[in-house]
Amino acid sequence: MTASSVSSPPEPPVVDDEFDEGDGGGWWSNSPGWAKGVLAAGVVLILLLAGGLAGAVIGQRTAPTYGPAAGSIDVGFLQDMSVHHRQAIQMAVWERSNTTDPALRQLAFDIESSQTQQLGMMQGWLQLWAQPTESAPGNYMGWMGMPVPSMPGMASEADLQRFRAATGSQLDVAFLQLMLRHHRGGLSMMQAAAAGASVPAVQALSSSMVASQTAEATTMTQLLAQRGAAPLPM
Amino acid sequence: MASGRSTGTPQRGKGGRPPQRGKNPVAGARRRTSSAGRAAPKNRQVPWLLIGAIVVVLALIGGIGFFLFDRSAQISPWRPSSDNKDPSLAIPGIVTQSYQGQHHVTPQQRVAYDRLPPFGGPHDGYWAACNGQVYSQPVRNENMVHSLEHGAVWIAYDPTRVSGAALDTLTAKVQGQNQMMMSPYPGLDQPISLQSWGHQLKVTDANDPRIDQFITSLKGNPNGVYPEVGASCDALGPGYFDPANPPAFDPPPYPRNALPMNYQGTSGAGGMGGTG
Repeated sequence: MTASSVSSPPEPPVVDDEFDEGDGGGWWSNSPGWAKGVLAAGVVLILLLAGGLAGAVIGQRTAPTYGPAAGSIDVGFLQDMSVHHRQAIQMAVWERSNTTDPALRQLAFDIESSQTQQLGMMQGWLQLWAQPTESAPGNYMGWMGMPVPSMPGMASEADLQRFRAATGSQLDVAFLQLMLRHHRGGLSMMQAAAAGASVPAVQALSSSMVASQTAEATTMTQLLAQRGAAPLPM
Repeated sequence: MASGRSTGTPQRGKGGRPPQRGKNPVAGARRRTSSAGRAAPKNRQVPWLLIGAIVVVLALIGGIGFFLFDRSAQISPWRPSSDNKDPSLAIPGIVTQSYQGQHHVTPQQRVAYDRLPPFGGPHDGYWAACNGQVYSQPVRNENMVHSLEHGAVWIAYDPTRVSGAALDTLTAKVQGQNQMMMSPYPGLDQPISLQSWGHQLKVTDANDPRIDQFITSLKGNPNGVYPEVGASCDALGPGYFDPANPPAFDPPPYPRNALPMNYQGTSGAGGMGGTG
């Protein structure tokens, strides 16, 4: 349209057309009647579809499906870290209920309550974005480009049974060892999300996890040393 | 369409120069864009706007179609959503029953459950661990029902009919998975029975696709299909509920003093927002 309107040499019109620029035989007058009809219908269709698309986009913002896509860093991190956090909470709940050491009970309650709060945030976001609230079993960390059957730091079923069977100082050492390895294992995921998440709240949460869990890991390393025990290998 | 237009009759054109007629209209149009071609004829122009309009329309149709198809294709029909709060209702063979939550009994009391295995009703104050727990021994009904109230899916199986590869298949769906638990259930009328609060599905084959449909529909469902969204599946340990040493299985017949399903004689825990 622009091209035809700027090129308007002073040539006398042969066929008059009231819609034409009337000076140089524009595209409109050169088009056969059926093409004009098709074009008019096309313009109407474009308007309808543009309206429909705008409606769909607006609807997408308000209804169940908006937010980062499945497989994105944000969604993948929240799904994986939900599973990771749940196991930390599971161990912390047991330790808080069964330890006889006030320092360990305090640490366990701190981990349990903070990670339960964080888990609620992660689950809430995933629900708002209509994404599954946890990773598919045995398929983790795909969002970091390296899908694995189990995340680093996760305790095995045998680890958990040994932990729950322990009492007294053995229970405390088992807790510290498993939780320290759990914290260290989750660090790479938290760092990846802190660096690459697109949603600021996800970035902020993962950054705060890096800070708090690094500090807790230092504390747990000291508590293990005080009990004459060494950290587990990763 | 475009080629039909450009080879069509030029009689409607105007102001075109005769020498251009019959020449390649594309060449004519191309010349028109150059500075030397300002006076070039326009009667045989390719209708770029028309072509563009059609392309845009097709692209929009294709784009919207792909958008809708892609969206519907990636969401499992069994995943709960705001439009489909309880997809399990479409599973063939599912049995549902409405129960009131938050009525507790003591570890010494028993409940005369109306279903076998039970999937709702009064229950013990301590829930059975349902954080991916695979119990090797049958567990007391009253504790398992409390876990259902917290949103767990319970796979019960007849140990005389489910073993080996079938048992491994079921274990893989449960082990380490939050809101999942599994236990043998002697005397079951079918090899496998799945329970969620108010929902039950009995199947004969561990590979029955309805098992995963049941789990996807109900586990972690946030739409109120079980009473306590967000409640814990973790165990507190000895003195509360110890998964290594759970309370003993208590199948029917129920004793005369078993508490009835009409909640008479149980304590409502809802008022104080308590242990639920």
